[in-house]
Parts: sequence; structure tokens; C-alpha cells
Amino acid sequence: MRNRVRELRMARGLAQGALGEHLGVSRQTINSMENGRYLPSLPLAFALARFFDQSIEDLFDPDQEDVPCK
Amino acid sequence: MQVKTRTGHRWMTAAVLAAAGAALTAATWSHGDHGLALAIGVFYAVVAVISFVWAGGSGDIAAILRAGGDERQRAIDVEATAIAGLVVIVAIVIGGIVELVRTGSLGQYGIMGAVAGTAYAVSLAVLRHRR
Repeated sequence: MRNRVRELRMARGLAQGALGEHLGVSRQTINSMENGRYLPSLPLAFALARFFDQSIEDLFDPDQEDVPCK
Repeated sequence: MQVKTRTGHRWMTAAVLAAAGAALTAATWSHGDHGLALAIGVFYAVVAVISFVWAGGSGDIAAILRAGGDERQRAIDVEATAIAGLVVIVAIVIGGIVELVRTGSLGQYGIMGAVAGTAYAVSLAVLRHRR
């Protein structure tokens, strides 16, 4: 699943560690999310969306195979 | 909805290692093998100190050693624990088969297998109700 976390974070001039501190997660978790290795839980996805003032759909872009229903 | 991150305690894993080391040292000492007992005690003490120092860091392993961390770090810990459990259970089954062929009895492997199987069944029942 692609996401715009890195793009939005850099637009605000934030380091990964600083974003992690805002959200209460580690720098490594922000890095893993940005690289698409880790899919966040719903609470964390909502926290990200609120932080960047975006909807979850604007933040995450699922690949076709990520969406089970047609 | 809240992002749950646990701080944990720096001494968490170190304390478990120290307690296990002390128990093993005492058991070996009481058996009369004082040299081995001291070696075990020193080994566990060194590993406990390394764990305490490492737990003071900011990485994934440090968070796991503190029994804390964010959702991703806890998921890594749970998966690693599951893999380790699976490996131990496979070792118990193989050990049990070898013991059965050699002596005609499962011996300690039977008890360990029963504990592992019961723990899995109870966990399954509890987790199924919770989720």
C-alpha cells in the first residue's frame, strides 16, 4: 500500500523522529511506514490523518490486491 | 481512538536474566559443580548487564528489551515469540520421537509437549473470546 507520509512530513520540514514523537511512535516505525514495510493500525492511521489534516483515503492509496472486495 | 505506546522498564529483561541466572547458578552449585555454577553466574550477569545497557537505547531491540514499544515493535516481539515457540515445539516433537525410539518412553519431552499443547489450547480459547 502506497502512502504520502514521507511527502507530507517533508513538506512540513519534520524529521522522522519528530513526527514519531508527535504521534507517540518510534522513528523506526515512521521509517517502516514510509517505505511501505509496515501497515499502521487504524488508530495510528487516524492519528496520521488528523496530524496532516487529510482524510485516510488521501493519505493511503491501496494497491488493487490490498482491497479484498470488488 | 488512541495510539498505544508503552514505555516499559529498562531493567525488565535484565531482571529476568538475573533471576534465571541466579536460579541456575544455585541449582548447579547445590549439585556440587561449583566451577560450572560460577561460569553460569558470570555468563548470565554479563548478559543481564548488556541487556540493561542496550535497553537504554532508542532502537527497536531496546524497546523490546524494556518490554515496551509502539504497535510495530510489539508486533515484532509477538511474531518473534511465536516463531521461537514454534521452533521449541518442533524440537520437543523431534526430541520426543528420538527418546521414544531410544528408551521406549517420551520422558521429559512428554511433559514439555503437554505443557506446550495445553498452553496453546488455553491461549486459543481465551484469545478467541477476546477478539
